[in-house]
Amino acid sequence: MIKKVLLLAAACVLSLCIMRATPPEGEEGEKFNASEVILHHILDSHDWHITDIPAGKENGKTQYTPIALHLPWILYSSRDGLKFYGSTHALEADGKFGLDHHGSVYAKKIGATHAPTTETAHDSTHTTTEAHHVEDMDESVSVLDFSITKTALQIILVGLIMVLVFTSVARGYVRNRGKAPSGLQSFFELIIIFVRDFSKEYLGDKHEKFLPYQLTLFFFIWFSNLLGLTPLNSNIAGNISVTAALAVLSFILINVNGSKDYWKHIFAAPGVPKPMLVLLTPVELLGIFTKPFALAIRLFANIVAGHFMVLSLISLIFLLGDNGRNVAGASGGAVLGIAFAIVIFCLEMLVAVVQAYIFTLLTTVFISMAVESHDDHHHETHKVLDTEVNRDLRLSDFNAH
Amino acid sequence: METIGVAGAGIGAGLTAIGAGIGIGRLAGSAVEAIARQPEASGDIRGAMILTAAFIEGVALFAVVVCLLAVL
Repeated sequence: MIKKVLLLAAACVLSLCIMRATPPEGEEGEKFNASEVILHHILDSHDWHITDIPAGKENGKTQYTPIALHLPWILYSSRDGLKFYGSTHALEADGKFGLDHHGSVYAKKIGATHAPTTETAHDSTHTTTEAHHVEDMDESVSVLDFSITKTALQIILVGLIMVLVFTSVARGYVRNRGKAPSGLQSFFELIIIFVRDFSKEYLGDKHEKFLPYQLTLFFFIWFSNLLGLTPLNSNIAGNISVTAALAVLSFILINVNGSKDYWKHIFAAPGVPKPMLVLLTPVELLGIFTKPFALAIRLFANIVAGHFMVLSLISLIFLLGDNGRNVAGASGGAVLGIAFAIVIFCLEMLVAVVQAYIFTLLTTVFISMAVESHDDHHHETHKVLDTEVNRDLRLSDFNAH
Repeated sequence: METIGVAGAGIGAGLTAIGAGIGIGRLAGSAVEAIARQPEASGDIRGAMILTAAFIEGVALFAVVVCLLAVL
């Protein structure tokens, strides 16, 4: 144990030495921009950027060669049909499409003179609505972007990992029929049973119908969160589109399975005076949409906040070290930042599983609220009464001792 | 003008943290008390606690997202 800690400390010191060896000295006006770096790490992109290596100097500035995996652009527009590009370079070289300063794609006017767009269009005095305006944009052509971005690639990766893991688990069930589980199976069986049990608690007899979705949801969110914590990988659930897609799936499942009573409670809640319904029905209708919206935002914000914290703490090294000019500050920042970052990292491992649990649990609760009819209510009260009687019995037992 | 926006976002995030802290603190306090009174019900109480904590956190995160949008 102590050996491992020493090894880790040595690795940290070594990495510091490597950083010291290549300070970008003598570069004026090169301040470390923490928010830019953090955003670059958090946002989705069209290349899998790994690192930059210094490649000589030009005009006193160190030039860097990026090491990155270019990901394909897949675009569809009414003018050009389906288009593939191997990289962002290829897209820009083709001249049919351009990128605005948000990084989103637009169709260029065909036959327009390819004069470089003047930078005045991006002047800070322009308001946000005007910022979208790019001079050579062909407004009549809308472009749909189906590109395999970094996040999309990693979703596929998570899918592959899940297929590998769970086929192994499923094979275990066949192999060890009637015997104790072994290997991966013994670990995942615990978690699968955990999900099944809380599903059973809320949905009762109907849980088997929803269990496949719940298990998929739980393991997808968990695996993608864990993958996001490994180096070089992006935060999959920290992308609002991904969490929104998950929430839309839950939304469909909740409302498709809504019982008659569920809809009755929304449009004409029983026992409510008629004039009050004018007020209540819109609120209830809004409630249908706010539930999945909250699901999406909760997961997104939790994961983004975690990555933000870790990256901010790591940025501390470069902020205190004045981007390599102040070695003492960098060392102090490294000790402080890495210590805190490790703590946050451990917390994030916990958050990864807790958020998967909460997303699945809340989906289960919402489904149970939607599917229950008044007959179930009856059963429910029976159950509650039953446990109360038991509790009283236990209490009297306790008092007797 | 921009600095006022950033300051507002910071103050907003702080207020959010206060609100969520009070909420989760009260919740956890009551839950621990309840578990101490009736340890055999700890499973149910823990489940209800996590669920409610998730709701409180959800509200707090709404505010955080609004604050982030103000800054970025």
